[in-house]
Amino acid sequence: MKSGLEGLRIGSVIATSIWRLVKANPAVWAIIALVAIFSALVPDKFLSTGNLVALLKNFAVTSMLAIGPTFVILLGSIDVSYMGIWMFGGALVWLLYPYLGLASIMIYPIFGLLVGLFNGVIHVKAKVPSFILTIAVTAVFAFLTTYVRNISGVLTLTVPAYNFLRESPVPYIPSPFLLALPVIVLALFIMFFTKLGTYFCAIGSNEEGAKLAGINVEKYKILAFTLSGLLTGLGSIAIFVHLGCQTRVDFDPSELVRGLAAIVLGGTPLAGGMGGPHRTLLGALVYVLIFNGLFLLPGVDPNHLKLYIGTLLLGAVVAASRALKGALIA
Amino acid sequence: MAQAWFSREWLQRNISTIIPISGFIVLVIALRMANPYFLATWDSVITLVYGMSWFLIAACGLTLVILMGSFDFSVPSVLKLSAMIFAVLYPSIGFSSIIVATVVGLIFGFINGILLARFNIPSFMATLATSMVAEGLAQVISGGYTRMITDPAFRAISTTMILGLPSIFYWAIAIWAICIFLTFMTPFGRMVYAVGSNIVGARLAGINVRMVRMLVFMICSLFASIAGILYASQIQGAHMQVGVLDMIPLFASVVVGGTALTGGMGGVHRTLLGVLIIRWLDSGLSMLAIDLNVRMIIFGAIAITMAILTIDRRRIRIMK
Amino acid sequence: MGASDPILEVRSVSKTFDRVVRALDNVNMMVRRNEIVSVVGENGAGKSTLMKILVGVYQPDSGEMYHMGRRVPFPKNPLDALSRGISIVYQERGVIPHLKVYQFLFLGLEEKFTRLGRLQLGKIIGLAKSVFEELGLKCDLASSMYELPLSTQKMVEIARAILSVRLMVGMDGGSEIPPVIILDEPTAPLSLEERDELFNYLLNLKKSNSFIFVSHIIPEVMKFSDRIYVLRDGKVVAHHDLSSEKITEDQIFREIVGRESYYDLWARYVYAVGAVEGRRIVLSVRNLTKKGYFENISFDLHEGECVGLFGPAGCGKSEIAKALYGEIAADTGKILVDGKEVKLKSEPYARVKLGIGYFSGETGKELFLFWPIRKNVSIVNFEKVTKKPLKIISVISFNAERSLADKIMKKLRIRAPSVETECYSLSGGNKQKVSVGKWLEKSPKILILEDPTIGIDVGAREEIYEVLLEMKKNGIAMVLVSDDPKEYAILCDKVISIRDGVIQAVYTNEEFRRLMEL
Repeated sequence: MKSGLEGLRIGSVIATSIWRLVKANPAVWAIIALVAIFSALVPDKFLSTGNLVALLKNFAVTSMLAIGPTFVILLGSIDVSYMGIWMFGGALVWLLYPYLGLASIMIYPIFGLLVGLFNGVIHVKAKVPSFILTIAVTAVFAFLTTYVRNISGVLTLTVPAYNFLRESPVPYIPSPFLLALPVIVLALFIMFFTKLGTYFCAIGSNEEGAKLAGINVEKYKILAFTLSGLLTGLGSIAIFVHLGCQTRVDFDPSELVRGLAAIVLGGTPLAGGMGGPHRTLLGALVYVLIFNGLFLLPGVDPNHLKLYIGTLLLGAVVAASRALKGALIA
Repeated sequence: MAQAWFSREWLQRNISTIIPISGFIVLVIALRMANPYFLATWDSVITLVYGMSWFLIAACGLTLVILMGSFDFSVPSVLKLSAMIFAVLYPSIGFSSIIVATVVGLIFGFINGILLARFNIPSFMATLATSMVAEGLAQVISGGYTRMITDPAFRAISTTMILGLPSIFYWAIAIWAICIFLTFMTPFGRMVYAVGSNIVGARLAGINVRMVRMLVFMICSLFASIAGILYASQIQGAHMQVGVLDMIPLFASVVVGGTALTGGMGGVHRTLLGVLIIRWLDSGLSMLAIDLNVRMIIFGAIAITMAILTIDRRRIRIMK
Repeated sequence: MGASDPILEVRSVSKTFDRVVRALDNVNMMVRRNEIVSVVGENGAGKSTLMKILVGVYQPDSGEMYHMGRRVPFPKNPLDALSRGISIVYQERGVIPHLKVYQFLFLGLEEKFTRLGRLQLGKIIGLAKSVFEELGLKCDLASSMYELPLSTQKMVEIARAILSVRLMVGMDGGSEIPPVIILDEPTAPLSLEERDELFNYLLNLKKSNSFIFVSHIIPEVMKFSDRIYVLRDGKVVAHHDLSSEKITEDQIFREIVGRESYYDLWARYVYAVGAVEGRRIVLSVRNLTKKGYFENISFDLHEGECVGLFGPAGCGKSEIAKALYGEIAADTGKILVDGKEVKLKSEPYARVKLGIGYFSGETGKELFLFWPIRKNVSIVNFEKVTKKPLKIISVISFNAERSLADKIMKKLRIRAPSVETECYSLSGGNKQKVSVGKWLEKSPKILILEDPTIGIDVGAREEIYEVLLEMKKNGIAMVLVSDDPKEYAILCDKVISIRDGVIQAVYTNEEFRRLMEL
């Protein structure tokens, strides 16, 4: 009887939260609108099986880049190190495969965790602003990846032994998506079923107040960065498989904003304090829908891709700025 | 004075001057040792000057923004865009394309300023977004092709030799000097430092903070445009290779000179030294055939270290 | 244990900072069951130090603590204090706006509800509901804190304080360790109705908790406390039991303020009444209103006149001053400087152009601490230190700057090695002088003064008053906002008393002195 009531209580709170999410979150409306628009304009291309599968794949990739850093954004800081983790992690897999065999894929979460830990400690202890720090980190690892490729003499860093991962056991659901699911579930669990979600939001909302309430702010900040790196590392496995069991070797800085764009589009304010992985997933979906649909439209030049990303980001950032009121920002 | 000359406090206060100067000395010595021909011939001097001048102009603009306590990621992208506009339009409208390129730069500066002052978007985010837009525009305008201009008048802006040095050098030094004048001798310069030191106090002292921010961003983008135009003239064309990557050495040269990220400290005068250090280091490293990627990592590491050392922790209570 | 025995008592508590500042001197205080004890005093009287000692943030140099009749060591940290039933609700920055109510309520205490790493939301919400019922709080548990009205936020904070004690001591219901909740200036940001709501809440809670109420606002303290302690300069100068004594507000006020040392100072500055009428009106304020802060403020200010906005903390006087300067924007009303209308939404720079200046004693905010004196002085005086060699660009003349700064240093007797000295190295009083010096030079039509002598010693205060009075003689009009009635007596020609955002009365300097018995 008691657990039934408890279940009802949890259920009612979650239901109210979901309803509020739907009501308050423009991302949901954006998704509905986008689906409607593209279905109307190019139904045979947009709604084809092939396209829907591609959508799932892109969604997996984009969300895996954004879901880890979301926890850092909750703090009010920034973490763009996802690109470095993803790229160099793959290089490490390629480097270690001759020695560790199939187990070398496990270097991804380990590397991610270590990078996140590094970010967290340096940010908290040496008081380096997070955006500078994580941009530098991501740049360093991205360049290292290109360097590894340059000196190794091969064109790409592929590990064919993992090709078996590319085949999905479930029809129509691509394997990158399946690989992304556990990461998504983990992130959601941490956010809603542990105190971490609450603590991160508290720190982002009012750091001083959180300290006064007895929260060890330094510890949880470091934890957020570490968690971000870990989740990104785990998620990078999905990206790795999606790219054909290889890592990207050219540093394309415009890819850097992809994760941030998904977070911003989802409605998590950059100032932190509220939001979370659930919103980021929505944002990733919006991002993916826009670019998927856009290129199905006739007359859209792929050369203009960067311009669209830029304008989209600009628009999203301005729209999101309504959440930041008054304070003098640099 | 009871304090010992090399006391910890003295060191901490002057670290932003000690490091650049000693770094520079070490660098020159190391480069001479590695390559006795370094700076030995006038030609090598000219090569270095070509490498530094456009860079200095862009770095001056960025310095002003950082002095104010903000950040501008869009500098290299606006530079590229202006270069591209100049190169693409030149065959049809001649030197009027300079006007177009400059105006575009100013527009980007204006947008950056509005995003910050009106919409309260943190500057790194706002300029990251605008840099993407600028990159996108450059991509669209170029169509993915590198542009080459063979008309000698095009080259003349940057490469005309005066007293043995190319004209771009004089442009760069002139702009650098103007910046120094602006920041030290005019009320506007004071206001920039004021906003960077204590934005609340600046507002209360009757400074129009919004206007200062707008102007500084516009000046920065303007300089980026000028740098782009001169660079295009120098290399006789424009290509897509310059870009966001150059943000790292650009930023490095500002902080290595000793201008602190927190704002209000340092200045354009220091940036000259920073540019010298970074560009000469780049030269030296590529002479040693060190991969571009590793060079970038080195600059990144230098930039971060210098940024950490110069950040004024006394002023920041909550770091995000 | 009898019902009137103290649950918490401290004796002979003393605390000195840096061997110089005596924050507390032999303080005795006690709290009984189910009562509200108030601690009142000026800024710097020692209230906050005492509270911090009670919650374990500071350790006293000497003294004893008794809990439930037994001698105990002072708490070493807030968690320790919680186990003695002591918890605190801070004046500001205690609320975390984006958290939901049930999240905020249990912030920091989640261990009690975690099983295998998983938060038991059901248990949390259930407990929250029952606590709110018990305390008579009505609000939606799932709403975010910022959505609640300010008074409800405070009430949730208080509920949280009580809950922390209970959870810490390990029970959910009846208690053996009665909570003692310290409330630090809880009503400052609240409106009149909200304060009433809060007090009813507290009276309800009194049935099973005790409160220590730290406040500036004497009328409230008189209305709701059982006993009052008055602190001044670290000592308990009075203790009143309101159930057995009849005491007036003015009496308490005088006990807070004390009488010594300043008597000579204002005796010197006696005014010739009537000197102000007939001069031109430089500032005209009509029906200035800002919802939630002040309403229908109207007054005229003449050349060389100083008007003081006087009232308890939270009455709106600071906000009025800030609205005059442009730091915040009033909603409706008119502000006219020499007949010219000032746009309500305009920024400070526009007001400076019109002739309004602003001086705050909080030098960290207003001064550029890492700049030399010379630059701090010239920042509002560019016209005086620039030349226009080419007619289009103003150039700063360093010589002009230096001599300007020199002039001010001499005039105000600022003690510093040179005009190049950086301001952070100056003493508090000298910093204030640099700050006021720049306005002295600027000579605006109107100068808004907010806490001009906060935190500085008597000697420096005197010097600042002299400067301000000279500025008055030169025709500069002033608006004063401060917490020190003596300041009003020294500087103001008339004093406007403000309470709850509304003008209550206007006094002349003489009337004010009589009122304050100064």
